Amino acid sequence: MRLSKSRSSRRTQQWKDTTIPRRPLLWLAAALLFTLPPMLGNLASWVAWFFLLALALKFWMEPRGYRLRSTILKLILACLMLGAIFLSYGTLKGIEPGVSLLAVLVSLKILEAHTAREFQMIVMMAWVLCLCGFLLSQDFAVAFCLFVASALLIAALVQFHRGSSPGAFWVPLVTTFKLLAQAAPVVVLLFLLFPRINTGLQLRIGDFHAAMTGFSDRLSPGGIATLANSSEIAFRAEFPDSRTGPAGPLYWRGVVMWRCEGMEWRGPYSPTSISDSSRRYPARDKAIRQRITIAPHGLRWMFALDRPFGIPSGAMLARGNYLYSVRPIRKPRRYEVLSSIEPIDKELDAYERRQALQLPASITPAVSELAASWATHDSEPRAIVKSALQFFRTQGFRYSVSPGEYNKNDLEEFLFHRRTGFCEHYAASFATLMRLAGIPARVVVGYLGGEYNDLGGFFLVRQADTHAWCEVWIPDHGWMRVDPTTAVAPDRAGLDLSSFLASRVASGEMATGRGALLTRLTRLALVNQIRSIWEALNYQWDTRVLGFDADVQDVFLTSLGLTKSGPLPLAMQVLIVIFVLLIIYAGWMQLRTRRRVDRIQALYERYCQKLARIGVRRDPCEGPVDFEKRATQSLPSASKYVRQITETYIALRYAPEPAVISVDKFAKEINAFTAHT
Amino acid sequence: MFAQRMIPADDCAVTPDHVDAFVKQTCEVIVGKNRAVKLAVACLLARGHLLIEDIPGVGKTTLSQALARSLALAFQRIQFTSDLLPADILGNSIFDRHEQRFVFHRGPLFSQVVLIDEVNRATPKTQSALLEAMEEQHISIDGVTYQLPEPFFVIATQNPQTAVGTFPLPESQLDRFLMRIELGVPERASERAMLLGMDRREMLKELKPVISPRTLFEIQDNVRNVHASAALLDYLQDLLDASRQRHTTGLSPRAGLALLHASQAWALMNGRDMVLPEDLQAIGIAVMGHRLGHDIAQPGQSGRTLADNLLHSVPVP
Repeated sequence: MRLSKSRSSRRTQQWKDTTIPRRPLLWLAAALLFTLPPMLGNLASWVAWFFLLALALKFWMEPRGYRLRSTILKLILACLMLGAIFLSYGTLKGIEPGVSLLAVLVSLKILEAHTAREFQMIVMMAWVLCLCGFLLSQDFAVAFCLFVASALLIAALVQFHRGSSPGAFWVPLVTTFKLLAQAAPVVVLLFLLFPRINTGLQLRIGDFHAAMTGFSDRLSPGGIATLANSSEIAFRAEFPDSRTGPAGPLYWRGVVMWRCEGMEWRGPYSPTSISDSSRRYPARDKAIRQRITIAPHGLRWMFALDRPFGIPSGAMLARGNYLYSVRPIRKPRRYEVLSSIEPIDKELDAYERRQALQLPASITPAVSELAASWATHDSEPRAIVKSALQFFRTQGFRYSVSPGEYNKNDLEEFLFHRRTGFCEHYAASFATLMRLAGIPARVVVGYLGGEYNDLGGFFLVRQADTHAWCEVWIPDHGWMRVDPTTAVAPDRAGLDLSSFLASRVASGEMATGRGALLTRLTRLALVNQIRSIWEALNYQWDTRVLGFDADVQDVFLTSLGLTKSGPLPLAMQVLIVIFVLLIIYAGWMQLRTRRRVDRIQALYERYCQKLARIGVRRDPCEGPVDFEKRATQSLPSASKYVRQITETYIALRYAPEPAVISVDKFAKEINAFTAHT
Repeated sequence: MFAQRMIPADDCAVTPDHVDAFVKQTCEVIVGKNRAVKLAVACLLARGHLLIEDIPGVGKTTLSQALARSLALAFQRIQFTSDLLPADILGNSIFDRHEQRFVFHRGPLFSQVVLIDEVNRATPKTQSALLEAMEEQHISIDGVTYQLPEPFFVIATQNPQTAVGTFPLPESQLDRFLMRIELGVPERASERAMLLGMDRREMLKELKPVISPRTLFEIQDNVRNVHASAALLDYLQDLLDASRQRHTTGLSPRAGLALLHASQAWALMNGRDMVLPEDLQAIGIAVMGHRLGHDIAQPGQSGRTLADNLLHSVPVP
């Protein structure tokens, strides 16, 4: 009877001991919430929901003593999850299924966990989850969240080990902050020195979700309008020579399209490279230097203002004077390029002329007649361009994000009936008309404008700024840019799209469509201020942190005087440096703690060390008198000094008025001690 | 054991004359138990109460009588039994027919040295009445408070708790005893000396007071003035902290005070005006043993062993 009672009481005791305390659990939950953002949008959505559900369930279960106990149930759940992941992705291989699996397993572990060991295990798994978050996304926002998450995990561990000591909020936070501050130098050092591995990216980080953003090599009606709502960043540009860049609208050329199919235009399937070396570099004051950081878009477009020079490595100059990357751009890339202000092409070769006058067979007579009427009126190319622009300006054309569906053969419909279009409609139809009128023409797709960030001194160009315009060949001038959209919407070129639309809404020309609230919000100065700070931080993160790749590191190391020596010796050097720093740190810590122990104690310890060297070692738990007795017994010769030192020590340390004897005397006694023995 | 290794039992080097003579005289009666006698005296000087735990017939009563007689203090002996009531020890109010009122008749507790024999045989009710009196130094009956005489020194003896028919003292009450000591069977030579020597009862009768009550008060006051330096208090607190970390119920603040006062008394008995770590170690087991004896997490470990472990593992700062 008694036995069974004690056994049951022991069981309840164990039961109580093995619930996870609430406060560390709260910290852990907060940390886990911060690991969610990279999952959202990158993993199957149910993974994040399951994760949240598990967390919520834990808080419901823990006070009631419930947890996932049955092994069979656990196995079934694990199998179910595995199946669900397989169904969601069609595979278990790859980054996303892998991270999903980890997230799901962490969720299950949370439901199961009840011991201290399991709590610590969850913390460790959550750290791995943080690292995996970086595989999914390397945005500044995500990095920030994951940093917060790992800090909160430290706080959770700290709080867990503090037990029920008072102060559950500030104390663990302060400790965490101290730990992070101590780790910061090592982190910086590792960041700067740790070898970057350039093995062709076998992991292919960033080569998955929405691999291609932005425009493609085909300009079809409505193609750019779909990008008008995208706030995704295309690239950022700095003008190192003049902070705010050149005056006038910024036309960032991306791709030049030669092939006309009426309302639809195409770029070359694989652009032919033209040599840069044969061209004469413009004078320094006749060129604009740009430093551009492209966000990964999965394609090969690289952007520059018109007439680029100084082709960055890994890129080529394609026919039509635009930059084309050798490899798809899958991670942030930074490069510098020059753009000439003055026209450079003097002659159009036969091949290009043929290309620039190619026309599809499907042109209707009405359209041809329109173009021919301009050409017969005045055969001078500039006059033709002028009359075409005049046509767009005066014939009631409207500029609209949603002009309705057009087919590639709907040129006539657009020009004579509906007369509503977005930039791609105008660019495509204008270039086709020019060709019909006998003027070599091509369409350029790229970006127009950009939002200037005062704080960071850069232009932020978003996908919404995608634009299409034309270039026509004027014999004595070369390729000349003509933007027919400005004929319809004259202020479009001066503003980025969103401001342009906002101004349209304000003047009542357009109905308040999408994001009226957003538009209104962006007009608030404070919101704009915060946004520009955030974007400046983002830019710094992308350029300084993510952009610090093997090449930049090489330059940095060379500037430090470390020669390029391959990753392995570099790793060795790094390890040695870290080791030396750790030794210095340990020494410093030792010195600091030593200083705290008062001098008397330090002196006495030195004396004990001296005695230990001759064979009488003091037990840490031994008092001075006992030690004296033992020492005098085993060292009768030194007994006089031992007694004297102990007497002084006791007088200094334990007596009511220790000031009677000076510490210096004690120090002298101890220094002299070796001499006697 | 630890403390014995550290300080030899017969180390009665430089003691003030009175205390020295007192200890010496008591040691003559209780042969070969110098250390236990010294601890008992230290307990008395520190104004604490003493618990002696041992089998019958090892001289518990003799020791307490010897202490009382050497101090010229009033002595009472109460045998605790299972049917003893609180009134039996505290006293009764009895109606006086001549004076037509209740008159309080003081019980045997109103004495200066009280020997409670077999304290764990009484019921908890009686035990708690006694222990309250010990703590408060006064007794309240029928709304009247009676001050107990000064000095008031209780020596309780206790059979080992494995014995049948006992009510073990709860932790909270054990805490009120400053020390718990064991006398133990004497060594062969000491036992021979005892067998050859005079009858103990005769010897007790011949004992002369060596310390007047007034001197005792003075000595007790002096004990509190023995200097405990910051370094020593660090050590004491380290001990307390270590006990609290290791055991489910660590040492109480009262235990901390007990350690301090007992070590002060020990230092004074050794002729010092300051407490050394050795003093703490000497009284450590006697003061901490019974307070640590109830650790559920470490069953089978006696309190003495736990205390010994503590003293052996906490470094002297």
